[in-house]
Amino acid sequence: MKTFLSLLLDESIKTKAFMFKNWIMAKRNLFTLFEILFWPSISFLSVGLLAEFVNLQPRMRAFILVGVVSMSTVQVCQLDVAYALLYDVWSKALKHGFIAPVGTRHLLMGSLFVGILRGGLVFITLMAASYIIFDFNFTSPGILAIGLFVLGLFLSASMIGILVSILVLTIGNRAEVAAWSLVSLMLLICGIYYPVSILPYWIVVFAKLLPITYFLEYYRGFYGFEPTFSHVLLKGYTAVIAYLFLEVYLMKVALKRAKRKGILLKLSE
Amino acid sequence: MEFAVEVKDLCKTFSSGWFRKRKKEALKGIDLIVPVGAMWGILGPNGAGKTTLLSILSNLLTPEQGEVRILGLDFRTNGNEIRKRINLSSGHANFLWSMSVQENLKYYAMLYGLSGKSLNSKIETVMDMFSLKDFARVRFEELSTGTKQKLSLAKALINEPELLFLDEPTVGLDPDVTNRIRDIIKYLHQEKKITILITTHNMKEAEFLCEEVAFIINGSIKAKGSPQDLKEKLHLGDTILIDFKGLIPAAALKAMDGIYDIQIHNSSCKITVDNHRKRLAQILEFFTTQNIMMSHIHIKESDLEDVFISFTR
Ligand SMILES: Nc1ncnc2c1ncn2[C@@H]1O[C@H](COP(=O)(O)OP(=O)(O)OP(=O)(O)O)[C@@H](O)[C@H]1O
Ligand SMILES: [Mg+2]
Repeated sequence: MKTFLSLLLDESIKTKAFMFKNWIMAKRNLFTLFEILFWPSISFLSVGLLAEFVNLQPRMRAFILVGVVSMSTVQVCQLDVAYALLYDVWSKALKHGFIAPVGTRHLLMGSLFVGILRGGLVFITLMAASYIIFDFNFTSPGILAIGLFVLGLFLSASMIGILVSILVLTIGNRAEVAAWSLVSLMLLICGIYYPVSILPYWIVVFAKLLPITYFLEYYRGFYGFEPTFSHVLLKGYTAVIAYLFLEVYLMKVALKRAKRKGILLKLSE
Repeated sequence: MEFAVEVKDLCKTFSSGWFRKRKKEALKGIDLIVPVGAMWGILGPNGAGKTTLLSILSNLLTPEQGEVRILGLDFRTNGNEIRKRINLSSGHANFLWSMSVQENLKYYAMLYGLSGKSLNSKIETVMDMFSLKDFARVRFEELSTGTKQKLSLAKALINEPELLFLDEPTVGLDPDVTNRIRDIIKYLHQEKKITILITTHNMKEAEFLCEEVAFIINGSIKAKGSPQDLKEKLHLGDTILIDFKGLIPAAALKAMDGIYDIQIHNSSCKITVDNHRKRLAQILEFFTTQNIMMSHIHIKESDLEDVFISFTR
């Protein structure tokens, strides 16, 4: 029992270490403030005002606003997961973390926690702004629906963040581009501002592979949009959990490869 | 007897380039056994493979071939257990740029599972040891090279390692800081009983710190032993310079015990001997009995630098 408790304590301290790092780095760097305030506000306001200008009916406006709020939330949350390695790469300090007795689980859980904090902040702010500025009630589907939707978004965000981390361990510095572009690419496919049904059929194939597609369809269902696919919530969660398992495995493979190729050393000098 | 490091037939080849593969054999069959409690130096020219070796020993790099056991354990099966008990500090190390000295130490201490009082007291101890208190709140990016280096060493002690790898710990530091860091390293070995493996380009440092040194050249260990042994093995010896008036019977002098070489230029004579402490008296006596006037005597002991040069030439 005692050893189990001390093991649990050990796990939690190591996870907290990564939370501490992301937190301090976010606190110290201005660009991270821009990430949660500036960019989300810009896209939220420009899209919201555009909807106003073209005189969208409330149902359509709901569609668009759900899209833009999700996109900002996912973007901010996934960045934190990606930062778990990127901060070290930018500081050229990657190797110290890998000398220590920690696992990828600590790194991912710790940074995801900060990602959820920052992403959650963006979500709540934009939800309030939707109500105040555009008179749109984000909470009408109820607390359980919001919870399931946001959890789906956070899991999808960590999926993207881990993919960036895998790329960092594989191709080094050059992977940082992915941290900003992957989300935009995914959101094009998942139907942020339009239903996936209008996409060419071969893109729909990709859309079906991405969990965010299902989470968006799920939430928009509450605003009167019949989902294109059936069992959206089940499909979304099954897909995202399967991807996360696959990615954690791939990350271990990438780390092994990085140790063979000397990438950890190259990213530390 | 337990060993801190056991390495057998270790090979590491780096390949780079996308299409035309460039191959670089960084280590070619290294054998090394370091006993617990030792303080050994790894010496060699630039690009010899020293950093590569230390990186493999600290599991940042996996070799294609060879066996590595650290503190009696195999990295392939006991990675985490080993990582708890070792640490590494390298010259020109970098840390998270916008975290302060204290925050950096706290972060790495947490990675080793420290928390609460034990974390705080550990950070205090290492900051004291390297006089980092005044810089506790200074961000890493604002530190001088010397202070960054001290932080790197402080970080390496945060888990109280039994085995410590130091890769050029005093590179780029002023003489005063260098000396202080050397003293601390000596203290860690003698008082804290930490097994230390250190690489350096400074032969005085190696001679001051290391009981034994291994010379790596081009990925292979060319020689191993105490500095004194190596000097003797290479017949480097010491040099005695004598300014004189008169005629030296060179052949008779050369025939004496322990004399490696004699060079005479005008009124100056350079004698290379195995050990000047053993030979000086008999040489002086020889000069006196031959009625040679001596005006000036100068003794130069050979050092590890001579060993280094004779190996790398
Ligand atoms: N990550 C890497 N990828 C490709 N080649 C590498 C890598 N790391 C080292 N090398 C090569 O391996 C050889 C040994 O390098 P290493 O850094 O171990 O030398 P060193 O003895 O530490 O040299 P120095 O005294 O200059 O620090 C060098 O030729 C180097 O170019
Ligand atoms: Mg080196």
